[in-house]
Amino acid sequence: MKILACVKQVHDSSDTLEINEQTGWFSPKPLTVFRMNRFDEFALEEALLIRERMPESVVHALSIGPERASTTVRRALEMGADHGVHILVKGEGYMSPFTAASAIASYARTGSYDLILTGVMSEDSMAGVTGQLTAAILDLPCVTSVIRTELHGETAEIVADSEIENGYRASYRLSLPAVLTIQSGINSPRYPSLSNVMRARSQQPKTIMPEDLGLPAPRDSCSGIRMPDTSSQGLFLEGTAREKAQMLVGILHERSLLS
Amino acid sequence: MYSAHIVIAEVRRGVITQESYEAVSFARDCSGGLLPAVVLLGKDVSLQAEDLAEKTGCTVHVIQGDHLGSFNAEESCAAIADLISGLLPALVCLPHSSMGWDLAPRLAVKLHASCITAVETVKGKGFTRSMCAGRFMADIVPLTESVVITLSAGAYPPYSPGGSAKGPIERVRAAGATARSRLLGVREPAHRDSALRDAEVIVSAGRGIGKKENVEIVRELASLFPRSAVGASRSVCDLGWLEYGRQIGTTGQTVAPKLYIACGISGAIQHVAGMRGAHTIVAINTDPDAAIFRVAHYCIVEDITTFIPVLMDELKRD
Repeated sequence: MKILACVKQVHDSSDTLEINEQTGWFSPKPLTVFRMNRFDEFALEEALLIRERMPESVVHALSIGPERASTTVRRALEMGADHGVHILVKGEGYMSPFTAASAIASYARTGSYDLILTGVMSEDSMAGVTGQLTAAILDLPCVTSVIRTELHGETAEIVADSEIENGYRASYRLSLPAVLTIQSGINSPRYPSLSNVMRARSQQPKTIMPEDLGLPAPRDSCSGIRMPDTSSQGLFLEGTAREKAQMLVGILHERSLLS
Repeated sequence: MYSAHIVIAEVRRGVITQESYEAVSFARDCSGGLLPAVVLLGKDVSLQAEDLAEKTGCTVHVIQGDHLGSFNAEESCAAIADLISGLLPALVCLPHSSMGWDLAPRLAVKLHASCITAVETVKGKGFTRSMCAGRFMADIVPLTESVVITLSAGAYPPYSPGGSAKGPIERVRAAGATARSRLLGVREPAHRDSALRDAEVIVSAGRGIGKKENVEIVRELASLFPRSAVGASRSVCDLGWLEYGRQIGTTGQTVAPKLYIACGISGAIQHVAGMRGAHTIVAINTDPDAAIFRVAHYCIVEDITTFIPVLMDELKRD
């Protein structure tokens, strides 16, 4: 079983981001910490768990991003991925899900993967479509928001339970190769073990330039980011904590919410 | 010339979803008031098609097929693309539901269109969507003639003017099944807390409460209200601080209590979708820019560990 886990690097907290008026994109401050997207940690962990159950499986981890994203590829190796790939993008800026998916698809074509796993969404852009777009570009079946997997190696199939509205779960059976987008809570992502950290030190991730992947023209662009309109904000209670509490109790009374 | 505006409607448990009518509103807005055509798929959705045509006045294209009885992105995509590629759609709008965000990207690739998800509004040529749990808004501009979008639930009012002439219904049959994935079944949630559904007051914990021990403070606050329950955001359940049966949001429960107190909840659309129907919403968060303050009626910028004890004190004194 050959598995590709896609891991995006995101900033740890959006508090440390500013909008750069010139580039129309975020500019990280010196204190900005970057790490692996949490949903992708679940995807990578699921890949590692499948490898444990299926002998002779390999897990490759792929990240697309500027220079800094190499630390996320390294993190994936430390968690236990067999091989790391970094598609190196120049500078900070908007990359549409379609472009990211095209890059993943283009790379995946060279590797004949049985399974491609992504997180259900990234914590920064929250588009939640990179996996599905990758599946569509490669013309593969796909299940989104997967909360359980059950691999059937003998028939080259996988059963995946998808979380849908109101806590319902839809169970699908797919033929491999396939793409799954992994929902949080499916497993407990591991911390790197010392032995894997040591092993990762000797591993050299493969770096690929986007121009070598023959990517299609972008289909959308970002014309700018901004802080949301605050006009729709509710009433801010002002004063000390005690004053705010008193005001709130008064409001709850007025609205007959206290009996 | 790509000019058609199309809405893909969704049926859940036998009825057209509210979000489908919201998508009609949005598509109509994007085309300067012209009604979009609506596409409805299913095994037998005649009644629902009548309902749609009557309420909206839109032309309803019904795609029928025995294999379309349950949702499958591959099958749905093939059937819809066959029908609408001939209509040269400038805009295809789906609800941002599990169906929508599964189907939209596949449809976009098939139509050589751009794909923009969880759209909240339209601004010039751009579609506005939130990022970073609602902290920022981004305007995404399609560079293609055709764009497929999913619309966030609740972003537009549902379109059902009433009194307008019933729209025509056109029926086609979809070609046979070819998908490489098949639905085995749909299960009800194993752990569902009926306490949440029946509660008049819900006090909810988000990641911003800081640590598992602080769930106790949230519980204590809830205990001061009769008919109350404790809810949670997804990340709190993922961290194991509260069980999944407490989760409120798109993949959890949808609630509409009289009073909803959000503690340390950022306000990502996935959570908001499950609680925006609450009558009175109070949010407590240390971050003055948190998206939850755009949903809340009353906003309190405080740390829950210091504020809730003071609030409880005032409630007891009352």
